[in-house]
Amino acid sequence: MTVAATRRNVLLIILVLSVGLVLTGLAALAFGGVHLPLREVWAGLCGAPGNPEATVIVREIRLPRILLAVLVGAALAVSGTALQALLRNPLADPYVLGISSGAALGAIVALWIGGRIATASPAVAFVGALVTMLWVYLLGRRRGRLASYTLVLAGVVTASFLSAVILFVLTLLSSRDVRGIAFWLMGDLSLVTGSQLRILLPVVILAIAGLYLVSKDLNVMLLGEEEAAHLGVNIKHVETAVYLMASLLTGLAVSVSGAIGYLGLLVPHLGRMIVGNDHRALLPTAALGGAIVLVLSDLVARTVVAPAELPVGAVTAVAGAPVFIYLLRRAAG
Amino acid sequence: MTDRRRSPDFWRFDAHLHAGAPRKASRALALLLAVLLVGVGRASAKWVTDQTGRRVNVPEHPQRLVSLAPSITETLYALGLGDRLVGDTDYCDYPPEAKRKPRVGNLLNPSLERIVVLKPDLVLGSPEANRREIIGQLEKLRIPIYGVTAQSVEGTLRSLEDLGRVLGCEREAQALRERLRGRIEAVERRVNPYPRSRVLFVVWYRPLTTTGPRTSITDVIRRAGGDSVTKDLDGEWPRLSLEEALRRDPDVILYPQAESFFPGLDEFARLPGWRDLRAVKNRHMYCVSETITFTSPRLIDALEQVADILHPRAGRGTEGRR
Repeated sequence: MTVAATRRNVLLIILVLSVGLVLTGLAALAFGGVHLPLREVWAGLCGAPGNPEATVIVREIRLPRILLAVLVGAALAVSGTALQALLRNPLADPYVLGISSGAALGAIVALWIGGRIATASPAVAFVGALVTMLWVYLLGRRRGRLASYTLVLAGVVTASFLSAVILFVLTLLSSRDVRGIAFWLMGDLSLVTGSQLRILLPVVILAIAGLYLVSKDLNVMLLGEEEAAHLGVNIKHVETAVYLMASLLTGLAVSVSGAIGYLGLLVPHLGRMIVGNDHRALLPTAALGGAIVLVLSDLVARTVVAPAELPVGAVTAVAGAPVFIYLLRRAAG
Repeated sequence: MTDRRRSPDFWRFDAHLHAGAPRKASRALALLLAVLLVGVGRASAKWVTDQTGRRVNVPEHPQRLVSLAPSITETLYALGLGDRLVGDTDYCDYPPEAKRKPRVGNLLNPSLERIVVLKPDLVLGSPEANRREIIGQLEKLRIPIYGVTAQSVEGTLRSLEDLGRVLGCEREAQALRERLRGRIEAVERRVNPYPRSRVLFVVWYRPLTTTGPRTSITDVIRRAGGDSVTKDLDGEWPRLSLEEALRRDPDVILYPQAESFFPGLDEFARLPGWRDLRAVKNRHMYCVSETITFTSPRLIDALEQVADILHPRAGRGTEGRR
């Protein structure tokens, strides 16, 4: 379907995407709930004295949020890419397979037991993501082989079951907690703190790097498990790496920003249209693409109904569903 | 973007400050000191515990207030502090002047950026209206947020007094509280001789959502000489099955006057299940002011209205009830 890009082209594409990410980030810095002239945005970014409000808005409200969008977007897109390769399924993504729901349930249970979203919950969200992933994987196997349809159906059913459990837990919580959680569940980047970014940044980079180490093996896995095994790929190692890293990325992303759909599903496909199926090129492309898409989506979420805000998950879903249908028709035609 | 404060208002505020100045020399001195301190831009601050139990560092005399809840906005105006309010929410529509203040967005997700540009020296919020995450966000931006919470008539009076203390207008708050307390006691004296009617409050009818024990609604019903049939349920807004409503057999059904669609009595008399309720059959179904959900001075308006509904002086409402 796609022609593998040459190494030089890949470097060029990654360079272009990096520049695109920086430009998108700057655009996101310039707009928000309050209109600031570009000169003030720049002065605020530099921390120039004389306009403390602009400094606070740009450096303490907009900038951390954009950084969070970059990290979460990259995390979701990369884990979607790795899952699609490992499971050889174009529909695999953390949201469709119920992994996001598992992480969300973990985060909510953590909140229920005590603590608050985004402080105690990342670890529990990670456990929720991992358990859900293994469960779906076990359900998706038939006679020792991965069955594509079974896997997706198992994921969809698991996701809806977990959503029901989330609703049940929400009825046990006080309406004060529920109000915040309902917004967070739809995807919300507004609650970022510096400590979250300090945890997220190294872990996301390490997990993406970890997946990059198995990117060659993922290329071979596309041929099928048996073929990959014949070609000397240690399937157990690759599987373990992908499950752990994808759960880690999803769990962290969900614990800080709720369940944001379509990103992990669509960005890998868009990436494949650009650089082809070589995961050494595809993983960085997806990371940059996911970051750009989420920064843009959050910019839309922050500005279209200002001063109110949309949940960013609603923006990605409204934009993502038509893109998905377009890709589907394209593939069918 | 925003309406400018007109200068006459500003001067009126100033006059109010002086007219209300305490006679005692020490307090006058304190006020003078505070004004001086504000004048040189170094307002002193004090540590207080807000109604949610948080320690908050609030300025001695907060001058630029942002309200994150309609009930707080109303209370500020009732205390004569409307001129100090520099921002409120999209839902703050009472008194009408509140609609002209710069808006910071909705209750759940107010815009931090808008709050920052209003340069508030104190933000007032409520756990009943706002999500709690807003506290951390404002703390991060070093903007003090004071939490006010009330789930009863008494709690509303307490909030009033508390706000008066924090905002430096104890006397106005005291006077207003005494006036409201007088009205509350008058209602209670009036309804006391009559037997209590059993009330079902319908927050929403599809699905039937009602009110739990710790809400201003249940308290208003009790003080107005009624007895909420759902006061034993858990949570603030529990759901109730129609079967259970039939079993609990209320004498009177109350529902809030809301802009959203709420069918009239005739439609209820045709709805399956509902038409079998005795209160619907007897046409004892009444619309009450939505201020029954506001923990502001207008809660007392709702109290008087509910008392009139449950115990009309002619005794019309109590005949034929248990």
